[in-house]
Amino acid sequence: MHKVFRWRCKALWNTLCNSPFMINKKLIKDLLNESACSHNKDKKSSCDKPKPGATSGGCAYEGAQISLFPYADAVHLVHGPDTCLGASWETRATLTSWEGENNTPLGYCTNVTTNDIIFGGDKKLAESIAYIVERKKPKAVFVYETCVTAMIGDNIDFTCKEAGKRFGIPIVPVHAPGFVGGKNLGSRLAGEAVLDALVGTREPESIHPYGINLIGDYNVTGDMWQYVPILERIGIKVVATLSGDGRIEQIQQAHTAKLNVIVCAKSLITLCRKMQERYAIPYVSVSFYGKRDTSNAIRSIVNAFGNEAMMQKAEVIIAEEEAKLEARLLPYRELLKDKKAILNTGGNKSWSIASALQDIGIEVVATSIRKATEEDIAIAREYVPILMKVPANEQAKLIDEHNIDILLAGGRSLYTALKKRVAFVDVNQEKKVSYGAYGGLENLAIDVCAALANPVFKLAGKEAPWEN
Amino acid sequence: MGELKEIKPLHVNPLKLSQPMGATLAFLGIKNCMPLMHGAQGCASFTKVLFTRHFNDPIAIQTTAVNDITAVIDGGEYSISVAIENITQKVSPDLVGLFTTGLTETKGDDIKGASLLLKDKQKIVYVHTPDFEGGLESGWALSVQGIIEQLIEPSLTCNKDKVLLIPNVNLSAIEVEKIKESLELFDFEVYALPDLSDSLDGHLGVKQGALSSGGISVEAIKKLGDTGLVITVGRSVKKCGELFKEKNTQSTHLHFDSLVGLQACDDFYAKLLTCKGWSKPPSSIQRWRKRLQDILLDTHFVLGKAKVIIADEPDNAYAMAKALREVGADVKAVLAQKSELQDAFTCNVSVGDFEDVEEALPACDMLISNFHAERLAHTYYKALLFRGFPNYEQVGVGLRHNVLYEGSCAFLCEVNNLLVHH
Repeated sequence: MHKVFRWRCKALWNTLCNSPFMINKKLIKDLLNESACSHNKDKKSSCDKPKPGATSGGCAYEGAQISLFPYADAVHLVHGPDTCLGASWETRATLTSWEGENNTPLGYCTNVTTNDIIFGGDKKLAESIAYIVERKKPKAVFVYETCVTAMIGDNIDFTCKEAGKRFGIPIVPVHAPGFVGGKNLGSRLAGEAVLDALVGTREPESIHPYGINLIGDYNVTGDMWQYVPILERIGIKVVATLSGDGRIEQIQQAHTAKLNVIVCAKSLITLCRKMQERYAIPYVSVSFYGKRDTSNAIRSIVNAFGNEAMMQKAEVIIAEEEAKLEARLLPYRELLKDKKAILNTGGNKSWSIASALQDIGIEVVATSIRKATEEDIAIAREYVPILMKVPANEQAKLIDEHNIDILLAGGRSLYTALKKRVAFVDVNQEKKVSYGAYGGLENLAIDVCAALANPVFKLAGKEAPWEN
Repeated sequence: MGELKEIKPLHVNPLKLSQPMGATLAFLGIKNCMPLMHGAQGCASFTKVLFTRHFNDPIAIQTTAVNDITAVIDGGEYSISVAIENITQKVSPDLVGLFTTGLTETKGDDIKGASLLLKDKQKIVYVHTPDFEGGLESGWALSVQGIIEQLIEPSLTCNKDKVLLIPNVNLSAIEVEKIKESLELFDFEVYALPDLSDSLDGHLGVKQGALSSGGISVEAIKKLGDTGLVITVGRSVKKCGELFKEKNTQSTHLHFDSLVGLQACDDFYAKLLTCKGWSKPPSSIQRWRKRLQDILLDTHFVLGKAKVIIADEPDNAYAMAKALREVGADVKAVLAQKSELQDAFTCNVSVGDFEDVEEALPACDMLISNFHAERLAHTYYKALLFRGFPNYEQVGVGLRHNVLYEGSCAFLCEVNNLLVHH
């Protein structure tokens, strides 16, 4: 009864003050109605509340974690019970070149227990921050609010502010408790936290004329390292990232970049729009998946600067890289000739992987648009002839009709592949190698060839001698 | 032999997994069941991802997807009833396992009331599993208690040839199967509750179902009331056996903290023989005991000088520590959660996280723990044996067999060989 009474008082008080918790309802509403998202012109709110009993996918906290954990020089402290972090730490293969202790794969959690729920967790949070700063000397500490600490009404903002004053480093509260929504919203809230607490808080020694921020690439399996060196050769400098291979000091200087580059992610578009309003930094949205998209991405970035000499240099380098890639792909092209594929995955992957598959010479017959946004569907239509609305029902039939060789999908579709005796690649599984940019395309070709050559898909579903 | 330590305000690299996760696994050991986690969508999502990667198999689970609005104005009835409606629109589960999380326990939801309101629509077992208390083992145990209390029909008759095996959460699918087979050799009719041995054993089905793919059926659970002998393995589930007594006062309860190592297995078979009034076990068991005796001697050269640190759930850590102590190993155990069992350890034991493991590791030769131990073992050049949840690195975790005489042999050999080849 104690705890119930305590939080209800708190919740009531906060409700009277217009906000049930420390969550900023107005901000969330604004984020969900982002004017820069095309679908919000005809729909009221983009991201509906999750349906009980019919929901899959991560929560807002996970989205925030995905967006910010790649800052390896900052400690990420989760203020809540052990579950939020206990089940999720050290799971993302985001790489960093940071030479100090890499905090990305480490887990810090205040481990809120019954006692804290009754008496409040602020003291524990303050002590935890002190413990971390004294032992680890991080560049910053991100403090993640969770459902439980939002409910009990811990004053995280105050605790962080006090700790920031005491230790002289940014202690950044991230208000994305799981129950406010899905991963996408959590990423947006994380972006807001960075924008408010970090961006523009440090001035660089010099400002690069062609400085860019990379937004939304988390350097999973080193994706960024496939294309950043190419950009550098053209004369472009990465000022800051959110947050692949990122550094706190760099994101503090992000306001001095000349261009924001959103990489394959819609969730941080609000951040980019706000940076445009506050610091007059324009933004472009690009994808580094496949040969054509990578070349086009480089062109969009270079064109945004409008420097003729740089554009020419870029074209030379693109031509060089494409030629190098073609030479490397040659042995696979023979194996992949006339092969037909069906793609069943979500979001921007519904077209970005399709484009990459076409670049290695595969005919993509159909792709799923079940979990794609309006923009994604429009782009997918340009790449693939058949768009599947209910892939679970359609793909088996399409495999027969079009004589498909390979199915690229999530694990659920493995059974379809076995039944139809076609090769299978799980594209939703945590990937082990990078498929990004020119270099990654070769990795994709290797994986697809291996699947096509593997007899296991015809064998594993074979009937037992005593069946039939 | 616990030691006093300054209490840290936080967990650094946590070892603990949550109660709702233990509950999830328990309900996956029941046929055609849908585990329904009452909390925010992320709680269920993290659990699903962890177990999917651990077992390399699809995991059935749903969530009541509590949001910031229903968190304030709903006492649980709304989100639970909508969840049941949405689930039953697509599938027809024999049972829904409803369990809470930190969020919904903080709110103080009345899940019993909500379940009762829905009892004509859907059979539900409800369990309170806040994640700010206990851990994986207790979540599993609380769920089994809930299932016993709410599903098993009391009985006045007692079938002394019917055995109910209640394993702890750490036993693999094959270990449960092997214990069942061993009991069948004693002419028992055996049921396991929960039974992961044909649900998460990694078998290829005809399609991916939305519900648990196997396990003990709800019908069989209901009729467990006439069971004559209840066997609990692991201290975390001891209470489940005691609770069963309320359903059938004539039943016998045998409890074993461990089934690994010579003494533990001797104790197990001695009690079974007494139960049955037999003088000797079947010959295959006698043969495996002799093999284990030989393995004890073969491995004592290496293991007798080995310093091993185990970081795992209490029941599993206890079983492994006990077996390794039998061949003279120097063992230190770091537990994921508190347990009654702590006093029973005959080695250094404490509750902690991977930061504590890291402090003790330089003085050890080998680390036995989950996937998170890999980075540590690599940094300090120590031998590593993967045990516990999660294990993302290896395949076939459901096929591991480390119990009874046969499994003990395999365990000791594996530890020995890893140390020698390191």
